[in-house]
Amino acid sequence: MVAITVAILSAMVVAIFLNANFTPAPASAQAEPIDRLLRILFSIGGVIFVLCLVLLIYSVIVFRHPRDTEEGPPLEGNYRLELTWTLIPLAIVLVLAVQGAAVLKDIGRADPKNELEIKVTAFQWAWRFEYPQYGITSGELRLPVNRPVLLKLTSLDVIHAFWVPQFRVKQDAVPGMEKELLVTPTRVGSYKAWCNQLCGLAHAAMQAPVIVVEPEDFELWVKEQRS
Amino acid sequence: MSTIWKLGVIRGIVFGLVGTVAGMAITMLLRTALGLSAWNSGQATALGSFVGLIAYLGGLGAFNGWVGWVLGWPEKEHDATELPNWTRYFGFHTNHKTIGVQYMVTSLLVIIVAGIYQLIARLETAQPGLQFMTPRTYNSLISLHGIMMLGAVLLGISGMINYLVPLMIGARDMAFPRLNALSYWVTPPSVLFFLFSLPAGGFDTGWTAYAPLSVRAPLGMQFMLLAFYLVGWSSILGSVNFLTTIFKLRAPGMGLFRMPIFVWATLATAFLQLIFTQFVGIAFLMVLLERLTPLGFFDPNKGGNVILYQHLFWIYSHPAVYIFVLPGLGVISEVVPVFSRKPLFGYRAVALSSLGIALGGALVWGHHMFAAGMESWLRIPFMFTTLLVAVPTGVKIFSWLATMWLGKIHLDTPMLFALTAIVVFLIGGITGVPNGIVPVDLYVHDTYWVTSHFHHTLFGGFVFPMMAAIYFWFPKVTGRLLNERLGKVHWSVMTAGFFITYEPMFWLGLNGMRRRIVDYDPAMGLGTMNLVTTIGGYLIALSMLVFFINLVASLWRGATASANPWRSRTLEWQVSSPPPGENFPVPPRVVGSPYGYGIPGSVHVIVSPTGGSGEKQAT
Amino acid sequence: MNMVTSITTDWEDRGAINRVGLWLFILSDSFLFIAIIFTRFYLQGVQRPSELNQLLGFVISVVLLLSSLFAYRGETAAAYGDIRRFRYNILATIGLGSLFLVGVGVEWAEGFRFFPPSTGFGTVFFTLTGFHAFHVFTGILGLLLILLPGQKKRLGEGSYWGVEAMVKYWHFVDVAWVFIFPTLYLVS
Repeated sequence: MVAITVAILSAMVVAIFLNANFTPAPASAQAEPIDRLLRILFSIGGVIFVLCLVLLIYSVIVFRHPRDTEEGPPLEGNYRLELTWTLIPLAIVLVLAVQGAAVLKDIGRADPKNELEIKVTAFQWAWRFEYPQYGITSGELRLPVNRPVLLKLTSLDVIHAFWVPQFRVKQDAVPGMEKELLVTPTRVGSYKAWCNQLCGLAHAAMQAPVIVVEPEDFELWVKEQRS
Repeated sequence: MSTIWKLGVIRGIVFGLVGTVAGMAITMLLRTALGLSAWNSGQATALGSFVGLIAYLGGLGAFNGWVGWVLGWPEKEHDATELPNWTRYFGFHTNHKTIGVQYMVTSLLVIIVAGIYQLIARLETAQPGLQFMTPRTYNSLISLHGIMMLGAVLLGISGMINYLVPLMIGARDMAFPRLNALSYWVTPPSVLFFLFSLPAGGFDTGWTAYAPLSVRAPLGMQFMLLAFYLVGWSSILGSVNFLTTIFKLRAPGMGLFRMPIFVWATLATAFLQLIFTQFVGIAFLMVLLERLTPLGFFDPNKGGNVILYQHLFWIYSHPAVYIFVLPGLGVISEVVPVFSRKPLFGYRAVALSSLGIALGGALVWGHHMFAAGMESWLRIPFMFTTLLVAVPTGVKIFSWLATMWLGKIHLDTPMLFALTAIVVFLIGGITGVPNGIVPVDLYVHDTYWVTSHFHHTLFGGFVFPMMAAIYFWFPKVTGRLLNERLGKVHWSVMTAGFFITYEPMFWLGLNGMRRRIVDYDPAMGLGTMNLVTTIGGYLIALSMLVFFINLVASLWRGATASANPWRSRTLEWQVSSPPPGENFPVPPRVVGSPYGYGIPGSVHVIVSPTGGSGEKQAT
Repeated sequence: MNMVTSITTDWEDRGAINRVGLWLFILSDSFLFIAIIFTRFYLQGVQRPSELNQLLGFVISVVLLLSSLFAYRGETAAAYGDIRRFRYNILATIGLGSLFLVGVGVEWAEGFRFFPPSTGFGTVFFTLTGFHAFHVFTGILGLLLILLPGQKKRLGEGSYWGVEAMVKYWHFVDVAWVFIFPTLYLVS
């Protein structure tokens, strides 16, 4: 009975985690593999959780002896069982780590020539975006869709972090250093870049508009900015 | 009047005040002599705190023993076996049971204050928009909530270890009783510094105190750094004591593999404290030095490096998580066999898994810095070590489940809390895996997902086990049972409150709710879940109220406890409740496993209360 | 018979307990230096300003190592209960230790001129030598304490724990310098 309950509940949990929408709609090429990995992790975690929870609740209900003074059976351990529950999780986490490394490679740089380079400067409590290839500076981040963007982040004062939830990936902007973050926006629309590292008084409100447009519109915007 | 003056703590306060003023005066004189303006609030309070601390310890009588030893005075008879009276808790008393209670009460008091801070802050974030609080107050409150809770956890585990370990291994006291009392008595000033932090301007860095923000933060920052530095030293000195006690003071026959799991957990925890606390100490000291002197560890303009702070900080602060949870997991391992009336399943594996977690946990700190701009080649190795820690943690959880399987389970309050702890810690463990995997961490890092994850690990690894421990050992400590009915009300409200608070936070984190924000974009649709979280938080507070009523009421007129109300086999239950001052008049003899429930003829320990006749066997 | 005295009556046993405690403390304290040495390499790599006085550094290293020799002789004398030789050797240790501190003081004076605390190397140099000098200073205080007249009756076979502890601590501070000296003065 335990096995059947675990099987049914596991199937339900996996079905939910593989299909339900519990994240903001992804808007970057990096978001796809991350979301896929996230769903796999949730499914595996969900099955383990269901297994343990069912065993625990079953034990509490079936083996409960409120006024009994007798002792339980003297089972001190089982070498083979203990080895099993050491080796299986070991195998699972190793596979997951390898998967993680693969996805990390996946979301890294692919085609450096085509990249749009943007220098991002964070300071208390705003962002500045420079487009060295176009010679413009802006308070909003306007990006052409489907083109890899290499953000080069730095900070003038304390640590800030750049995060657009729909893009998934984030990176700290560290004073005295330049850190890189690669994003390829895949969906036209407007988003917000939040500061994701507590940076003082107005941290909660530190944001910049992020607008993803068609390449032609981007060219237009660049011209507008230059004039 | 003379009785009051005999209380160490009163003398300590008076001496401490005088010392603080003297320290501040010295600073002003020194600055005047160097031709600077006399007043510098940072330097004056730093030196004032330091001199005040030494004077306070002197007034308390902390140094009397050592001074007498150095000067060669004849050693005074100690009054350790004196009947318990309330004054011993307010003076420099060296009995490990007194110190254990002092730690525990201090920890609970700090938990109340830090909890209230967060309850206030949580009201603000229940709805989007700024309702009644300035961002500065909010940042200070959540920062203090974090760091004070961590201080409270360190105090709490020290309390449990102090009270239980000598009893469990059959020792009369800790290896260094005076050092033990000193470790405790530096913590009240530290609590005071934590409390000073808010009136001194607070600080807006979060508990992590990341430089360079912490270098620029108001004076409140300095009080927090000093306070945690003191707790750190208390922790280091405590760990020296715990380790020496376990190594040298075990009763005859108490081999390593006859020790209760709680003692194993202490061993692992103490090693982590001993080695890694130095790193957070130096990190905080560097921030302090950069604030007070021209040194520039974290200032790129002075040749410093911002990431250095994070390395030093996390080298401690990740193992610190295991310092916090290992004793709690030890408590679960004690409680589950007793209430399942079955031997702990896979004793050796559970014992060694504590060391495995400690060793693994020492090599994973970089996973806090995946998004911080740490050297990128370090990401993959840290991901592997991080995930490997899941394996020994899993061993523990599966062993508890196997212990309960086919047992004769009794659902008394300690067991109920242990069960909640297992479920909550399990969720904490499972939700930790995504954080350990670099690309996913780039998504969830510094969001409510992470906040929820570590509250699961700390509630499952410390808070719920500590509640189990209090309900379990309260009869031993006080000789009175806690009220079971109130205990079950406490358990049900707290468990419900916990899940209502923290499960929505996972969803919030995935949907863009960042950590440590006073306000959030109403357009993101996060309001409802935030309101639910706030309500859950107040449910937890309500359950704590029930708990404190239960503590006070049971202490006042609870049912008298027998020596061993739970029919446990471990050593502390084989002596009276509360235990006599010297624990064991003659050393007990340990002859078998502590968890041999249901094994015919199995004996853990032979205790002879009078030394010879009337031997009692624990079966 | 009460708890504390019943533990302390067995002198042999007490010594072993104390020794474990001391070694644990030294283990912990060594991680302080490991952390600062890590900081040195993390911030500055193996850079070293040419103004750093290697000769002076070498001389004070010799002075400190020599002091450890006298400390060792003092401990041996204490073990045999030879109070005159014990005093003589410990005083020599204190003298050499103080000379070391003077040497560090001269280094600091030069440091303020050539690599002040507000520079990268200065930050590392002043922190590392400062923390070490603080340890030397506490060591000297400890050695002074065991010279007090009240300690005399504690000397002799099997019961010179105060001396043993302070001398072990002194050796530890010395060994720490053996790692600090190349970290600051030799690598480049």
